[in-house]
Amino acid sequence: MRITGTERETGPDGRPVYLLGVEMAQRYRHAVGSSSPFYIGLEQGVLRATRCAGCGASWFPPRRFCEEDLTETEWYDLPGTGTVVAATRVHSPPPFGGIDPPYILASIRLDGVRGGITHRVIGAQTPERGAAVTVKFIDGAPAHPLLAFAFAIEGASP
Amino acid sequence: MTPSADNAALVAGVGMTPFVGFRDDASVRDMVADAARAAVIDAGLSSPSPIDMGVAAYESDHFNRQMSLGQVLSDTVGLTGKPVMRVEGGGATGALAIRTALMALRSGEARSVLVFGGETNGRSVDRATAIEILSLSADFEWETPVFGTFAAPYALMITEHMRRYGTTEEQFAEIAVKNRRMAIDNPLAHRGMSITVEDVRTSAPLSDPYRLFDASLLSDGAAAMLLATEDWARQHSPNFTDRPPVAILASASATDRPRLSDRTDEMFPHFAAKRRAAAHAYREAGIDDPPGQIDLAEVYDSFSGAELQAYEDLGLCPVGQGGPAASEGRFDQGGKVVVNPSGGLMGRGSAVGATGIAQAVEVVSQLRGEIAGARQVPGARIGMTDTHAGVGSLCVVNVFGRLG
Ligand SMILES: [Zn+2]
Repeated sequence: MRITGTERETGPDGRPVYLLGVEMAQRYRHAVGSSSPFYIGLEQGVLRATRCAGCGASWFPPRRFCEEDLTETEWYDLPGTGTVVAATRVHSPPPFGGIDPPYILASIRLDGVRGGITHRVIGAQTPERGAAVTVKFIDGAPAHPLLAFAFAIEGASP
Repeated sequence: MTPSADNAALVAGVGMTPFVGFRDDASVRDMVADAARAAVIDAGLSSPSPIDMGVAAYESDHFNRQMSLGQVLSDTVGLTGKPVMRVEGGGATGALAIRTALMALRSGEARSVLVFGGETNGRSVDRATAIEILSLSADFEWETPVFGTFAAPYALMITEHMRRYGTTEEQFAEIAVKNRRMAIDNPLAHRGMSITVEDVRTSAPLSDPYRLFDASLLSDGAAAMLLATEDWARQHSPNFTDRPPVAILASASATDRPRLSDRTDEMFPHFAAKRRAAAHAYREAGIDDPPGQIDLAEVYDSFSGAELQAYEDLGLCPVGQGGPAASEGRFDQGGKVVVNPSGGLMGRGSAVGATGIAQAVEVVSQLRGEIAGARQVPGARIGMTDTHAGVGSLCVVNVFGRLG
């Protein structure tokens, strides 16, 4: 932390007021914990989800245990396809950067699992509800590991 | 419903600061001190000493730059020695603090509770810092890395609402116009404006279809409310019999999947937790015809379309009819239910920890008939507040009624 400066101003009632400039920067080591197999899967070009070894219910994003019967979940690979529920064109970059605005963000129902993901759809066109999409892994180091992939509209020219 | 003396939670006093873009003359503790002092004085007390406990409401250490702020605020408002707890529920923080105070009264743990909340969401941080902090209110692991703006999940919800029910951009722009107009006559409002649907639709795009004027304000502000049992109020509040008492008739809370994409297709454009909380609260308050019985509602208009969706999920109009209701001005001044006479988050503004309390201050002032000018809803007897965290992951509905 540091004081970047001080200010004196005239307050609304005419009396002088005093302000401090404060700068703080935080650094973290963020453990993704039980989601680790998902991130490691991304390095291998696959999306992974979890399912209950007991009742077979499946979860994406992954869960540590089944919320119905508390059985520990196990990991499996998803086909990487899905369907658009809704999409929007976003006009500012995400906080970690890595995507130039405007870009398309969609809520995607993933095939092979109960659940979905809100993620980027490649291209300039906002897809309609029901559009089929496929995961596409992107070359190079992403600004955030979750941006190592995006979704492409099936049938759209690359 | 008339609460009996042993379980009634009466509003003994209310107070709030103006909501503004930046208080260069006050810290969060100064603002909370002003609001709390006003609430205690409003109850006719000359000292906070008879008050049993405090509930502090604030959302973010990042915005307020003070951990353990609850204790600091408790000391600031004159409750040192008394029990205090801090309550946090995202955008619903202030309303949840009121609900917590109600639970303390109903349990017999306390006979009087001072609820105080504040936040410096305004320009004490620059825009980039504010965006960075606010991005933490999405799921940091699964949403924050792809959300360029918090408008995005709201935009996804309203996009599906538009597709399913034919809701239009102009319909929710009418709400942005209405709330900013209501705020013009509210001396405590952050920014009242006289704008048109055209102004809304040509303002800077955030996340289609939402634009800048569809979004709410980030404010500095504080609000407070003194809740008490009737016997405590009779004993300690000298002006208790001078005006019609206002009680909390009901309070309810419910939750939904925090991540939008985890919700079912059927409920995707709706606030399921809002429906559950409202249904529970109405049952408790004996309300079976919400638009017929509720005179005014302070609704969580974080985005213009969120108010439109709330009309439906709060049962003020049928599902799918929020759009026509907005374009017809059904919830404008003079309507059967007046929604956001304060100007809402878009006009009065939002200082998160204070917001749900400020809504309640507006409702109580309306029910007492103390609002100056045309903003007063004539003969108002029942009013409610609606707030939510995230995109409706936690919803709190509080219902207030004038008893006399
Ligand atoms: Zn199971």
